[in-house]
Amino acid sequence: MPPIASRFVRCLLLSATLMTGAALRPAQAGGVLTVAMTAGDLPVDTGNPDQGFEGFRFVGYNLYDALINWDLSKSDKASDIKPGLATEWHIDPNDQKKWIFTLRQGVKWHDGCDFTADDVIWNFGRIADPKAPQFYTQQFALSRAYLTNYDSIEKIDDHTVAIHTKFVESLFPYDMAYVLMVSRCRAEALHNDWTAYANQPSGTGPYRFSSLTPHERMVMVPNTDYWDKARIPKQDQLVLLPMPEAATRTAALLSGQVNFVEAPAPDAIPVLTRAGMQIYSNVYPHNWPYILNFTRGPFMDLKVRQAANYAINRDDVVDLVGGFATPEYAEIPPSMPYYGHPVAYKFDPAKAKALLKEAGCVPCKITLAISTSGSGQMQSLPMNELVKQQLEDVGFQVTLDVMDWNALLDVSRSGVPKYPNVDGMNASRGLLDPVSALIKPVAKAYWSPAGSNWGHFGSDEAESLVKQIFEEFDATKRLALLAKLNEYESQVALMIFVVHDKNPRALSPKVHGYIEAQSWFQDLTPISVSP
Amino acid sequence: MSEQAILPVDAAPEVEVEGAPATRVRSYWQSVLYRLRHDWITMVFGAIVLAIILIAIAAPLIAPFDPYQQSIIGRLKPFGWRGHPWGTDELGRDMMSRLIYGGRISLLMGLAPVLVATIIGGALGVIGGFAGRIVNTAIMRTMDVFYAFPSVLLAVAISGAMGGGVFTGIISLSLVFIPAMCRIAETATAQIKILDYIEAARASGAGTLTIVRHHVLGNVLGPVFIYASSLVSVSILLASGLSFLGLGVQPPEPDWGLMLSTLRQSLYVDPLGCAMPGVAIFVTSICFNLVSDGVRSAMDVRE
Amino acid sequence: MLGYIIRRILFAIPIAIGVSIVCFSLVYLAPGDPLQTVLPPDATAETIAIVKHAYGFDRPIPVQYAIWLWHVVQGDFGRSIATQRPVTLEVFGSVANTAMLGLFSVPISFALGFGMGAVAGCFPGRMIDRIVTGAAVIGVSLPNYWLGLVLVILFAVEYMILPASGMGQTGSANFNLFHWSDAQFLVLPVVTLTMIPIGIIARTTRAAVAEVRSQDFVTTLRAMGLGEGAVIRHVLKNASPQVLAVMGLQFGYLMGGSILVETVFTWPGSGFLLNKAIINRDIPVLQGTILALSLIFVATNLVVDLLQALFDPRIRRS
Repeated sequence: MPPIASRFVRCLLLSATLMTGAALRPAQAGGVLTVAMTAGDLPVDTGNPDQGFEGFRFVGYNLYDALINWDLSKSDKASDIKPGLATEWHIDPNDQKKWIFTLRQGVKWHDGCDFTADDVIWNFGRIADPKAPQFYTQQFALSRAYLTNYDSIEKIDDHTVAIHTKFVESLFPYDMAYVLMVSRCRAEALHNDWTAYANQPSGTGPYRFSSLTPHERMVMVPNTDYWDKARIPKQDQLVLLPMPEAATRTAALLSGQVNFVEAPAPDAIPVLTRAGMQIYSNVYPHNWPYILNFTRGPFMDLKVRQAANYAINRDDVVDLVGGFATPEYAEIPPSMPYYGHPVAYKFDPAKAKALLKEAGCVPCKITLAISTSGSGQMQSLPMNELVKQQLEDVGFQVTLDVMDWNALLDVSRSGVPKYPNVDGMNASRGLLDPVSALIKPVAKAYWSPAGSNWGHFGSDEAESLVKQIFEEFDATKRLALLAKLNEYESQVALMIFVVHDKNPRALSPKVHGYIEAQSWFQDLTPISVSP
Repeated sequence: MSEQAILPVDAAPEVEVEGAPATRVRSYWQSVLYRLRHDWITMVFGAIVLAIILIAIAAPLIAPFDPYQQSIIGRLKPFGWRGHPWGTDELGRDMMSRLIYGGRISLLMGLAPVLVATIIGGALGVIGGFAGRIVNTAIMRTMDVFYAFPSVLLAVAISGAMGGGVFTGIISLSLVFIPAMCRIAETATAQIKILDYIEAARASGAGTLTIVRHHVLGNVLGPVFIYASSLVSVSILLASGLSFLGLGVQPPEPDWGLMLSTLRQSLYVDPLGCAMPGVAIFVTSICFNLVSDGVRSAMDVRE
Repeated sequence: MLGYIIRRILFAIPIAIGVSIVCFSLVYLAPGDPLQTVLPPDATAETIAIVKHAYGFDRPIPVQYAIWLWHVVQGDFGRSIATQRPVTLEVFGSVANTAMLGLFSVPISFALGFGMGAVAGCFPGRMIDRIVTGAAVIGVSLPNYWLGLVLVILFAVEYMILPASGMGQTGSANFNLFHWSDAQFLVLPVVTLTMIPIGIIARTTRAAVAEVRSQDFVTTLRAMGLGEGAVIRHVLKNASPQVLAVMGLQFGYLMGGSILVETVFTWPGSGFLLNKAIINRDIPVLQGTILALSLIFVATNLVVDLLQALFDPRIRRS
């Protein structure tokens, strides 16, 4: 090759290498937090999100506030509620079914309009009144689990509203923490066209919507006018990417494509640590169980339920997820204040076999609905295969019905009326508040699809305990009653208890300021990303 | 040249020419076998194919471990760990046993659709080639419609719509192959139908069925068989693709495509283990390909 | 020639209608009532009746088909159940992304496949022929999604030279082909996609070229004193129809069959959309995507047939 040509070639190679090198660390213009979610698609942004609590975590509570928000600022104690768009709430002394909310003043929507009591009334019409012009079926379906006890709302004055409940419930405010407020101004400007609204959502939250590429990415930017000055985001941009496969998320983190990853593949944690990534984990009110069908099938028999619980070798499951879980013997983890002393069905396959024989269920055929991934589902497929093996070792015959996360959520929301042939459903549960944690799974008022008592469990003892709790407005006495309810639920083997997740996350070394709260939800606002 | 391919099947005359040494004119199929026997590549790979099939059938006798037996402490172990010749998978199951048993479903989903498509497509093609214009048009235009879909798309669409599973996978793959098979058979039948000796047979009173049986089938079988053998490797690849997408067998059944999908999550700890089901698919597919190529050149006579 | 073109185009219309019938009936293949995906579970009989009427499910099936076809012809493919966006938007966007892959895969696989096959066909039995044939057989027997995984292991994880998934630094909406930071996302998917077409086209070209070369007229041409270059040109021209047919099929495969590769690389193309539609049981998107892709394939075959007629006058006259 003539000297000019060889020099040209060398020059070409050099510039190619330089360009590649520059591209190796993809441009992360100071402070872009790129998150890889386990969700299979972007959560909807028209109010309450889909894709489970992960939707709330990354979209719902970022774009919007509820009347009551969650305190996500500490990692050493369980997260509880705090004022959101309402600064204070109490029951009417004369009517225990009437809750009075004092609304926060001086709050503006992202579109500039002022937040008023009329907006709150309008929002409840959006999700609960089919005759209202702003009613949106999708939001009705996504919100209804939290409106079981909602009856009506009335405006007291420009800064006060009163919500009427159907029955007396001392823990009602917790439900209101899950109902997000959407901008009436924006919706009416778009003539209640919710499809158009999805491309220009407007809320009161710490982040503003910036752009959306369907199925691919959502970008948000800080809301500099946010009413809580301590929670104005410190990043320049928040980018959300759906990546349902753990291996893809891990690869994306290693290659620098993202810098915040939910639930990395447990096997890859050593590799990630070697590469300098920060691994976070924390206990949180999470439950990975099989929720059972009490209307028909083998699990109607207590002995079969107990047998299933004795069959599970929980230590093995914990090993499977690299130690990022703890064995579970009750609905809630022991870190919760109302744990009490529930009976623990420790691994005992011999006893399980004996119980099944006593119950006359040999072989015991069951169908379990599971998902491939999803918010809180952990490493769903391998864990389910392991559990299936353990159950079959004692005499069950298990058929796994595998589906996408959103499809499983539909099974979960619709309940046994729509899916009577499913004997058990593996849907992780959020237990942030006592109602969701202990009461909803056993109370008749929450029978699906009106609430999250999926399998239609019902007993007089449970009903009376729940009534006592709802009518007990003294916190200490209520705590004791809640502990009693937890013990009752373990006693009747309400679910097949497997493990509590420890919420592993992997962050790039460039990410600073993150505090992992003991919650399903996380506060991303204090995070900054160094270049 | 190509006439040799369409001689009546049962003609195998021994010709003795006076004064010259006796030469034996082989029948068509005998000459095919002769060529095959001397094609060492096809013989070797044919033996490998046979071995793969036999191993899959004899899985319960050969596999060292139970392919469903999990072991949490023994996950993703390397070759030779505690007697597992090829290590273990993400749930501690023996890789070699899973691969051997996996061959059963993968081969089933590879071979069954080709068989079904050959029978149904071949029959449709012969009927279409032999019958009148109306029937011919009806059959061939319907086939054209299905032919208009790219094969992967059609297989995924049908399987996806019907909800996945081995049975629906076989059905959807058969539907993908039937049009092509039908075309091959129809073309071959149409070529033969117009030949003189068929007219002669008809004139001598032979019924249509007899004609089909004695003359047409033998000559149509050739091209159909060649095409079918080339389809097997495509079918194996498509079937494993369906399983990879979750539209084939469900866990914990062993199947090469499904194993690739589940092992993918353990990419970092055990890259070699992840690659193994792919190697199995590749080896099987390439062997079938080479054998079918050899068969094709043995049967495709050109001077 | 004009007559042939017209006849061929007219012929494509009933095929397209047949394709639309198959697409439409996919809904009814699915287990369960298509209405289930749309309604809340405790809908009253009244609500069910209203929704049924709105979607037209209360009419006989042929009528439903006619209505659906009427909308399709006007460009209205309905709305996605999952995102409520018009299906046309979803399909158009994703097909454009797959076309980006095709933009590179098609020329590369055609050029390499044809070149390799032609060279091998011109020197049958020699070393180059064996190498090309061997490479082609390997290419055709590879599960391409497995190859994709292996490439990801090597280039994205081990050596971190190329990205593992996605389309572009900032997503497909801002994908800029002329910036390496975006274009690098194309490399692995394109390499993976071209494996099988290169193998198939090389094999077909080799067989076609070898066959044509062995025919009498080639000997005649040489006897007439034509130079080797001119002979090769004639050979290639005669081999073209067969090769074109296969290329057409491969183009269809690259556009419609990319689902596996797109899944491995999370490339937001039509195959990926199809995958999501199947998982979410989003029937309108499923129907729309399959219809669009199949019609592209039908159009491709039409073009191939016309090109074949261009090259081979015998076909024109038939």
